[in-house]
Amino acid sequence: MDLFPLFLTLKVSIIATFISAPIGIAIAYILARRDFSGKNFLDALILLPLVLPPTVTGYYLIVLFGKNGVIGKYIYSLTGWSVMFTWQAAVLASVIVAIPFMIKTARAAIESVDIELEKVAYTLGKSEWKTLLQVTLPLAKKGILAGIVLSFARATGEFGATLMCAGNIPGKTNTMPIAIYDAVSAGELGTANLLVLILTFVSIFILYLTNRLIQGRW
Amino acid sequence: MRTLLLLLIILIAAISGCLSEKPQNNEPVEINVAAAADLYNAFTEIGKMFENETGNKVVFSFGSTGNLATQIEGGAPFDVFAAANIAYIDRLKEKGLLINDSVQLYAQGRIVLAVNKNSGLKIENLSELLDPRIKKVAIANPEHAPYGLAAKQALQTAGVWENIQPRLVYGENVRQILIYIQRGEAEAGIVSLSIANVPEINFILIDDKMHEPLNQAMGIISSTKKERTAREFVAYINTRGRPVMKKYGFLLPGEFH
Repeated sequence: MDLFPLFLTLKVSIIATFISAPIGIAIAYILARRDFSGKNFLDALILLPLVLPPTVTGYYLIVLFGKNGVIGKYIYSLTGWSVMFTWQAAVLASVIVAIPFMIKTARAAIESVDIELEKVAYTLGKSEWKTLLQVTLPLAKKGILAGIVLSFARATGEFGATLMCAGNIPGKTNTMPIAIYDAVSAGELGTANLLVLILTFVSIFILYLTNRLIQGRW
Repeated sequence: MRTLLLLLIILIAAISGCLSEKPQNNEPVEINVAAAADLYNAFTEIGKMFENETGNKVVFSFGSTGNLATQIEGGAPFDVFAAANIAYIDRLKEKGLLINDSVQLYAQGRIVLAVNKNSGLKIENLSELLDPRIKKVAIANPEHAPYGLAAKQALQTAGVWENIQPRLVYGENVRQILIYIQRGEAEAGIVSLSIANVPEINFILIDDKMHEPLNQAMGIISSTKKERTAREFVAYINTRGRPVMKKYGFLLPGEFH
């Protein structure tokens, strides 16, 4: 039994969570506490990966970050490296599809923090940065942690966009969902059953652990 | 209260709509056809002709043959299955999932070596895929896509299978491979002749002695409730559909190598 897909999936979704959490919280804070023109448009843009089929998101990623992509071609001509067909592409895909969950949940949590409390902090001479770290985020932490768990879960299950831009290279980019899809496609239902069971148990274990962490120590 | 009443009316209308929707003799029938990805261009065209001539509707699901076969084993509600390799049809037939006398060959496929035009590379045979300027070579997954298996066999015959491993990228089916090569993400790859004729790509035929023949067969799913239309469609592929299949580079029954 080759457990590579399991470890790859864990690696990809953990890194993707570490990337999407800080970026997501920052965007959530800006959306919750700032007014600027184009805010609704930005909000819609961020939610797009939630609505689009993941394969379409994946194709967007090829068009943007591929070797001949809008952004990717500059990266390629500078470094000679392309993110396509690498495990980093799986991380990229996971971040893009998971970050809406992070932003939506964190934004609601931050908006529910009483703005008077922030104002009190300002009158006591705290800067906005300090107020954010010492008042707003601690009060919004439950929602933010829920957002982190949700985006991790979404990253673990990411399939369509990853398949498009990370390809399916055995021993390199075949994440758990892709390995399961392959096993089913090839009619190897025994392998598929085993992989499905492993992924299910690992997911339940991680979600249970995170819930404990949120309710207990935090 | 008014909204509730409105919802109730809509619900009743919807239910009575469903009940009155009994198929009558001359009403158009919709059939679902599971078809291998290499058939995308040809079947889409034939499907339109069939719809225009018979008034019936054909809905295609294109995918890798292995994947579609597994879906049918799982009870997917298809009426016709057109595989890229007869082996899968035989597998389903043995399990009693196909109507025996409906199974027939309809084409023999060819594979081509496709190269992205912008890569500026001139590649004449498979061993030139080891050229260091080629970073990625894309083929369909040999585990469940017949054209991927043929590609693997051809690379093995050419003696480059071992050395090409680090550059190999698998796609779910030949159409995904085509996108990779069209966009230049993979400089080269192996796809079916039937879909290779796109502006971004140069391609050359791969000698069909280098792989097992891609004999493509189709059959009608036993559980179909629309057998008559399904039979019409299968017959149509092998009669009126022939010129279209030929146009896309398939060899027709009777011309197989």
